[in-house]
Amino acid sequence: MSTNTYDAIVIGSGISGGWAAKELTEKGLKTIMLERGRNIEHVKDYVNANKAPWEFTHRGGRTVQMTKDYPVLKRDYALNETNLDYWASDKDSPYVEIKPFDWFRGYHVGGKSLMWGRQSYRWADVDFEANAKDGIAIDWPIRYKDLAPWYSYVEGFAGISGNKDGLSILPDGNFMPPMEMNCVEKDVAARINSHYKGIRNMIIGRTANITQPLPGRTNCQYRNKCWLGCPFGAYFSTQSSTLPAAMATGNLTVRPWSIVTRILYDKDTKRAKGVEVLDAETNKTYEYYAKIVFVNASTLNSAWVLMNSATDIWPGGLGSSSGELGHNLMDHHLGVGAGGVVEGYDDKYYFGRRANGIYIPRFRNLNGEKRDYIRGFGYQGGAGREAWGRAIPEFSIGGQFKDALSEPGEWTMGMGGFGETLPYHENRTYIDKNKKDKWGLPVLAIDATIKDNEKKMRIDMGNDAKEMLEMAGVKNVHIYTSEGVLGRGIHEMGTARMGRDPKTSVLNEWNQVWDAKNVFVTDGACMVSTACQNPSLTYMAMTARAADHAVSELKKGNI
Amino acid sequence: MDRRTAIRNLALVIGGAALLPACTKQNPIVNYKHFDINIDQQTLISDMAETIIPKTNTPGATDLNLYSFIVKMLDDCAKKEDQQAFFKGMGEFNELPQKLFNKSFADCSNKERESVLNTFEKKNNYSKDMLAFYNTVKGLTVFGYTESKYFMTKQVVYELVPGRYNAYFPVKNLKAGVKNG
Repeated sequence: MSTNTYDAIVIGSGISGGWAAKELTEKGLKTIMLERGRNIEHVKDYVNANKAPWEFTHRGGRTVQMTKDYPVLKRDYALNETNLDYWASDKDSPYVEIKPFDWFRGYHVGGKSLMWGRQSYRWADVDFEANAKDGIAIDWPIRYKDLAPWYSYVEGFAGISGNKDGLSILPDGNFMPPMEMNCVEKDVAARINSHYKGIRNMIIGRTANITQPLPGRTNCQYRNKCWLGCPFGAYFSTQSSTLPAAMATGNLTVRPWSIVTRILYDKDTKRAKGVEVLDAETNKTYEYYAKIVFVNASTLNSAWVLMNSATDIWPGGLGSSSGELGHNLMDHHLGVGAGGVVEGYDDKYYFGRRANGIYIPRFRNLNGEKRDYIRGFGYQGGAGREAWGRAIPEFSIGGQFKDALSEPGEWTMGMGGFGETLPYHENRTYIDKNKKDKWGLPVLAIDATIKDNEKKMRIDMGNDAKEMLEMAGVKNVHIYTSEGVLGRGIHEMGTARMGRDPKTSVLNEWNQVWDAKNVFVTDGACMVSTACQNPSLTYMAMTARAADHAVSELKKGNI
Repeated sequence: MDRRTAIRNLALVIGGAALLPACTKQNPIVNYKHFDINIDQQTLISDMAETIIPKTNTPGATDLNLYSFIVKMLDDCAKKEDQQAFFKGMGEFNELPQKLFNKSFADCSNKERESVLNTFEKKNNYSKDMLAFYNTVKGLTVFGYTESKYFMTKQVVYELVPGRYNAYFPVKNLKAGVKNG
């Protein structure tokens, strides 16, 4: 056996890649996990995690040089001084925007699992049935019941804290104890829940921050510095969770600096036999061989790898025979919500920095309601007191002004919508051979935008937030809105959708590429619709389910 | 080699910072990456910061060296056009204490300095550049103060590792020195 031969190859080391590596190695497969970027070692390489705010030269802000170096990342909060090294270089890895599309990437071991928002929600039956009922795109080949046991399984291992709220739109899970709402959130929640008679509910966020210890991990310390990397391993990341488990099996090899350029397809067996890797440091090319390949490079890069593979058989790449590879690119559209001030809690505060907020599950177009758009949206938000640094109207300068700065400010409460984006065939990505990245590889062009359905939904997203906040007694409520550029949600989905028919889908119900059954795509690329819940928990469940199927098929000799 | 370059090189030889004042006798200049600041300008920014966050029975802007923070932020984080507006606005600002008190800001008493700055807190028809200058100095002074180690450890309680979330916490327990959480 050549040293480049394994039982399984996993492309990518983020949330879904880490899960693939864990599941496959625990089932006894010798596995290599290929990561295009550098290694980041748990705790040791979280270089800023224990710095106090005053220890950052610009107190966490952004310099002009940073905005020049990161022309895409600068469009949103992601560009900052504290975890700059966790974001991929826009200069080294450019892409072409046919229409504006934000693409925020993590090119290192752990991928975006280090910087993710950690909100973790199950999908419900209504989400898996939506395409079929609306006659949109194609039907999901699976239903909630297919994924439910796998949700429970991944929740138990990853550690999700949340309350069992008993809502059919947002199934309860295998939760650790929930975090607590503060006094304003509790009162607002009680008013919303009673006023809307259970149709609208405000609950505490369900988050992949653990509230009880797990092996090798300490419960959340309420630092709210998650995206610097957690020295306590208190939130789910590849490093804190799946990687140690996979390493413990003795079956895992991790190879950083490994850009997978294509999947090696054997047309005689109609299977992949391995992958080609470009070493990002040396520019040398290597081949690795395995019985199965898991593609977990993140939605758009997974599409890139497939489109760059087996082009001698299919010009559009591996999985393109359906005509759907690269198409149906989706994201959650956001940037619309409302906020205001809350009176009457001046003597109350909170202590500790809770890295979590409140959640309002979808309530539109359910129970027979029909808006002038289909599907719906959820809200994330929270209440807090403005801290020092705020404007103090009574004193503008001087000693009293200085003293007033150390008093807590007004209570404010806000919420922002996360809206479902429909799968449009014409929203797509493709390889632009004319533009190359730092390694001479052709880059992606992205051509995707929200349409009428999303635009109409965004009107409700603003108005409903305002209505609920005002009903709950929040004052001076203002609606904020934005254009709704896709990619900004950092929830890229689609491009290699699952389905029941190889003519209309790239993957089957087990995430296998129809055209190469030993290739599994289990990251956001596999999604057929987006629902409005944060998607990562679904990727985890989908990956564990697919890995189980892969090993079982391998044992049966089917792949 | 001109005199300024010579002195800068000398500073490197000595191992000193690049911030060594160059010498033009009356008004030494400090070189930053994107601009130079002379001693009068430095004094003005420091005096304004001290007027906004004065030393009382607790430290003020000068004690906390907020001047260095303000200029560092201006140098690294402000766009070129904003830096230009800052210095243009500063030039215009200098006329204000002359007009009001017939002297420079440096020669004004604390009370006079306060009244000069207070004119910015009311509606007025100052130029865009002048407002940009004042708002930058004030904003960075307050930001630097509230993000200083002194403020975050002695004025309020910042714990790197709170270890708990107390959702009902009385405001009266908030001040430094009170047992929290």
